[in-house]
Amino acid sequence: MNPIDDQLNRLFRAASQAGSDPVPTPPYGLEVRVMAAWRRASPSGFWDAGLLIRGLIAAILILGISLWPTLHNTATTNPFSDSLQLADSYTTAQIDNTP
Amino acid sequence: MINEGDCPGMTDAEVSACLARGRAGDEGAVLELFHYMYPHVTKLVRANLPVRESAEDLVQQVCIKVIKNLNQFSGKVPFLHWVSRIAVNTCLNQIRHERYRPEIRLADLSKEESLMVEQLATLSGDLDSSQKVEAKELVDKLLAGLRPADRLLMRLMYLEGHKVEEISGLTGWNIALVKVRAFRARVQLRRRYALLMKETP
Repeated sequence: MNPIDDQLNRLFRAASQAGSDPVPTPPYGLEVRVMAAWRRASPSGFWDAGLLIRGLIAAILILGISLWPTLHNTATTNPFSDSLQLADSYTTAQIDNTP
Repeated sequence: MINEGDCPGMTDAEVSACLARGRAGDEGAVLELFHYMYPHVTKLVRANLPVRESAEDLVQQVCIKVIKNLNQFSGKVPFLHWVSRIAVNTCLNQIRHERYRPEIRLADLSKEESLMVEQLATLSGDLDSSQKVEAKELVDKLLAGLRPADRLLMRLMYLEGHKVEEISGLTGWNIALVKVRAFRARVQLRRRYALLMKETP
């Protein structure tokens, strides 16, 4: 009797020579589903998410740059800012207390 | 052994050009790639088809994964190698939880298969070329008793003739793991075949 390993090797050798069934052309439904999945996944032209995100970042930057001098000046360079705020709150309180 | 020639109709340069156009959003190019890889994916899925799983569903899963991730293909390996890896991993994920592993008995074999087992035991030399189909069916029955990952490994190694390094590339397992799994699977296979031999008159 032949050793089992030898028998298995011969069996595998013969099996590997058996050709597989011919592959038919892809069914139309499959083609449609695959292409639909690709369309859903691919960026949709001008309004893709990347462009929107880049636009949003640019808008925030422009907003920040344009507001910075104003905020900076008010907070640090106006020597009367504290006095002005006190006067403003006093005036507001007076108006609120007026019967 | 995956060759671009397995799927005739496109040269390497044509595949590269198609990939570039597909990434740029050309639908025709993506369709061409789908038709190019379809026979290869179908063969791989059929070979590793999990029990009770429809081949077409798995082929669709693999094709969609490939098409959706075209941008992630680096081009370091041939396109079909990359496709094969996705196909093998998809099959592995599907069969990971499969629990049905039938034990093969002599009574389960056809008359031709029983004769072949006897012939393998008593005669030396390769089987007759007319017995290829029966040999494949017998191998399928033997492999059905292995764990899914082991079955896939045995197919890749002994039926498709892949080397350890190639299997490592296809499955993502390291080389040591492939070797250990192959050894254990082979032991299992030998045990099952020996049981079958005991029943042979």
